[in-house]
Amino acid sequence: MTHDVTLTRRAFLPAGLALGSLVGAGAAQAQAAAPAGLATAPVSQLNLSPRLTMHAIDIFHGSPGAGMKAQLSMHDGTGYQVLRRFETNRGGRTDQPLLIEESYRPGRYELLLQVDDYFAGRAATLPKPTFLSQVPLRFLISNPDERIHLAILFTPWSYSYYRGS
Amino acid sequence: MAGISTHVLDSGTGRPGAGMRIDFSVRDGDSWKLVKTITTNADGRTDQPVLAADAAKVGQYELLFHVGDFFRRRPGGPAEPVFLDTVPVRFAIFDAAQHYHVPMLCTPWSCSTYRGS
Repeated sequence: MTHDVTLTRRAFLPAGLALGSLVGAGAAQAQAAAPAGLATAPVSQLNLSPRLTMHAIDIFHGSPGAGMKAQLSMHDGTGYQVLRRFETNRGGRTDQPLLIEESYRPGRYELLLQVDDYFAGRAATLPKPTFLSQVPLRFLISNPDERIHLAILFTPWSYSYYRGS
Repeated sequence: MAGISTHVLDSGTGRPGAGMRIDFSVRDGDSWKLVKTITTNADGRTDQPVLAADAAKVGQYELLFHVGDFFRRRPGGPAEPVFLDTVPVRFAIFDAAQHYHVPMLCTPWSCSTYRGS
């Protein structure tokens, strides 16, 4: 298990506290549950060395899929074994590549997204059990000389993933 | 009509995904229990419902789409799966009186699914 790529709640605290001081704790909590706004431009990863990166976009809210719990697993011949658990950062990405250098190896991988927890945290009104809960995204790394960017678009009712750039 | 249905589309050619294997499973305790294996017809659909209305129950279900094999068999397709191989789609029936249409749109490099109708 390598180090976790974690977005702590602290990252959201300054905005929440500032709002709380103005309009009270209730409103601050509601604000904390709302998705983060878009504050960054797209990132080009052209010509970067081989690595696995990801980017999750919540197209239900039109925002980055920030603070979503996920786990990355690799198939060892009998089953998927967890390599790491992490949360997406404020931009819906991870601060560091999921795999790089010696950890970037050909194989079968699964990224499991906790989509149910994510939308519960944003107070989406959904049936129980939710249509999507833990969403497995399986993919291969087949060429260790080429990086893979895993692009993910999701809502409570749909998702799409593809080799991005 | 309640139950589960699916539809496979090859987004790269804009054609139905004919002849794709799908393994349909139901969550049984801590594991997935295979209910049946289906092959899509010429229209990318299944001749029989994936799950018939009278068999629909609240629970967790999985459609495992054999996307890699599908494209490997296509003329000009990759010799081996390059990015997608088997693609599981897991979803819940939360109300057995409703219908759940769960399509799979795919290319060797991308896939998309949603609750359709």
